Amino acid sequence: MSQDSPKRWIAVVGNPNAGKSTLFNALTGLRQRVGNYPGVTVEKHTGTAFTLHGEAVELIDLPGMYSLAARSPDEEIAVKVLLGQSVGVPRPDAVLCVVDASNLERNLFLVTQVMELGLPVLVALNMVDVAEARGIRLHPDQLSEKLGVTFIPTQAHRGKGLVELRAALGQRLLKPGPRQWTMPPPLAVAVGQIASAWRQSEPSEMRPEGKALELLAGSNVGPDGARKLATAWRERFRKEAYDWSASVVHARYEYVRKMLGEAGIGSGKRGGTWTDWIDAVVLHPVAGWVVLVGMMLILFMSIFSIAAYPMGWIDGAFTWLGGVIQNALPAGMLRDLLIDGILAGVGGVVIFLPQILILFFFLGLLEDSGYLARAAFLLDRVMHRVGLSGKSFIPLLSSYACAIPGIMATRTVEDPKDRLTTILVAPLMSCSARIPVYTTLLAAAVPVALVPVWGKAAAMLGLYVLGTGTAFILAWFFRKKLLGGGSPPLILELPPYRMPSLQTVSLRMWERAILFLRRAGTVILALSIVLWFLSSFPNTSDDPTEKLAGSFAGQMGHGLEPILRPLGFDWRIGIGLVASLAAREVFVSTMSIVYHVGGEGEGLVTAMRSATWPDGALIYTPLTCLALLVFYVYALQCLSTVAVAKRETGGWKWPIFMLLYMTGLAYLAAWLVQGVGRALGFS
Amino acid sequence: MSKNHSEGASLNLSQVGSGDEVRVRRLDCAPTTCQRLREMGFCENALVTKIRGGADLVCWVCGTRVALSARLAKQILVEHVDGRS
Repeated sequence: MSQDSPKRWIAVVGNPNAGKSTLFNALTGLRQRVGNYPGVTVEKHTGTAFTLHGEAVELIDLPGMYSLAARSPDEEIAVKVLLGQSVGVPRPDAVLCVVDASNLERNLFLVTQVMELGLPVLVALNMVDVAEARGIRLHPDQLSEKLGVTFIPTQAHRGKGLVELRAALGQRLLKPGPRQWTMPPPLAVAVGQIASAWRQSEPSEMRPEGKALELLAGSNVGPDGARKLATAWRERFRKEAYDWSASVVHARYEYVRKMLGEAGIGSGKRGGTWTDWIDAVVLHPVAGWVVLVGMMLILFMSIFSIAAYPMGWIDGAFTWLGGVIQNALPAGMLRDLLIDGILAGVGGVVIFLPQILILFFFLGLLEDSGYLARAAFLLDRVMHRVGLSGKSFIPLLSSYACAIPGIMATRTVEDPKDRLTTILVAPLMSCSARIPVYTTLLAAAVPVALVPVWGKAAAMLGLYVLGTGTAFILAWFFRKKLLGGGSPPLILELPPYRMPSLQTVSLRMWERAILFLRRAGTVILALSIVLWFLSSFPNTSDDPTEKLAGSFAGQMGHGLEPILRPLGFDWRIGIGLVASLAAREVFVSTMSIVYHVGGEGEGLVTAMRSATWPDGALIYTPLTCLALLVFYVYALQCLSTVAVAKRETGGWKWPIFMLLYMTGLAYLAAWLVQGVGRALGFS
Repeated sequence: MSKNHSEGASLNLSQVGSGDEVRVRRLDCAPTTCQRLREMGFCENALVTKIRGGADLVCWVCGTRVALSARLAKQILVEHVDGRS
């Protein structure tokens, strides 16, 4: 192929969890997210790979699918790309099917469908090591001969077979021959007639049989004659109670089984006995919950105990930097901006990086080990009671890291009402941006020295449980009362357990750290500067408290105080609440600026603990801290979440609803905490 | 032109003991659910091993473990491979 030829586009398709993204990463050198559960990839990604001859080809990594009959938004994305209906991506010139060699029967079912798209096909026989460990004897040559397309054995995670794959990509890929599975007689007659009518109208149509099947399935795209015939056959099949689509699936599977039998490829022994042993514990109705809660408790204990050391180092570094600036610059606006604005704001948030990385380390272990699908299984009973299936729990669990990937992950949920419900409650799952707020307020509520690590972990766990429990209750309300309809049954593939890859987990932590620091260096830095300005001007007094009270921010806070007073919040907290509308963690940076603490974590807590109302009463009583914590559990203080919800729901209606109900809930809950707490005699 | 691959299958997947291997005879669920089940390997005549039972259950089908809710398992009619009823 000459240098001037247009680049070839090759779609990478396969069943969920077949290793598509791992192979895509290995071929392109990119770092798409991978994991050991079905549905990691929910969006198409493109990357350039090079053949052995140096030809550049564009690979399109697609979400996993079990068949071309798409039922969920992520599968729709994949099918649209394959049919050339995706905006911004040309119809692929060829397809690279990635199949799990230990599960050929089901994976080849999809391959037989892809082979009928009229495109050249290459098959990567992935995970051959797993297949061999299960005693499956693979015969790639025989598979190639029988199916008429090339099969290349690979182990994407170990980089094996990539040279052969690059070589095959450089050659002219084979276009599959005519359909090999036998269409059942009644359907064959119908498809023959419809395809013939289509060909009469459009002789250039390359795959009239496939189009005929699509018309039978309800598609409305095609020549009039073919459409009318399809409608008549559909009606006839309905009257005769003939389930033609079932007969197609059945016929394909029969063909695949027969072909595998002829090639001498068995299904092997059931692999992963140790997977069954682990499952016996983690899927047990009692022990499974003990394991789940125990793991969460260990996670939160680690967040407080292990993270304390690096947090101390970061705190020390910012304190040192503050000292350097203090000594180097004369007193004035620039020094104030650097110390009270930038260092206080950015430092106040960056200090929480270790805690966030620990959260991602644990989530990475869960994802990469295969446990995530088990958690969904365990939660299915609870989810079913609230009108959802366990499948919705994976997006919700992802939301513990961040609601944005969580909401994106709802693309794997097939039922549209289930998906919408999951999107609406996903931001109630406590995300990593809440960690700085929770940690600061918990420390302000009770002196750190008085609480053992397990106590802090339990308090943190309590906040997560509060968010999750409320998400379930509201999911029940939204799904059963607002949207209506029954809940779908759970059908979920449970991948075998594997040792988590330290590289994959570290990569995810690294990406998260970069994202967090970039956010600190852009959004939080900008907001810190703006907030420093708003809290410093107009400069009406030399006394810091009076100066803040008279500033623009102070005036705004005072304006809000009548609304916030019933919650026990003063005007300074009001400034924090408004500033953190864009992102929750901005609350901590804002309070650092408001209390002039120059980036010292402990300094902020000390300042908050000594802050008083005009009558001398403490503001941050345990009760007020609890009300503020509850407010942050529920409030949708994240513009990015609103934006992604708008994109995923296709309009403003639901994001606005989400914003209103969460803000209302946050206010009401904080007011109740304050009211009930006072009625019980707490202050 | 019959839709049934079997008549009279009275045993459903939820009633089968853990460790038993069965053959799928008929699916009795909503069309879209049936189609998804078939695509995941639970098509008529497929061999399924029930790994664990309970409120939700785990099966071994087509070389993978698949979790199913109990109410869905009740809609999968099966027969024992060894002819037991």
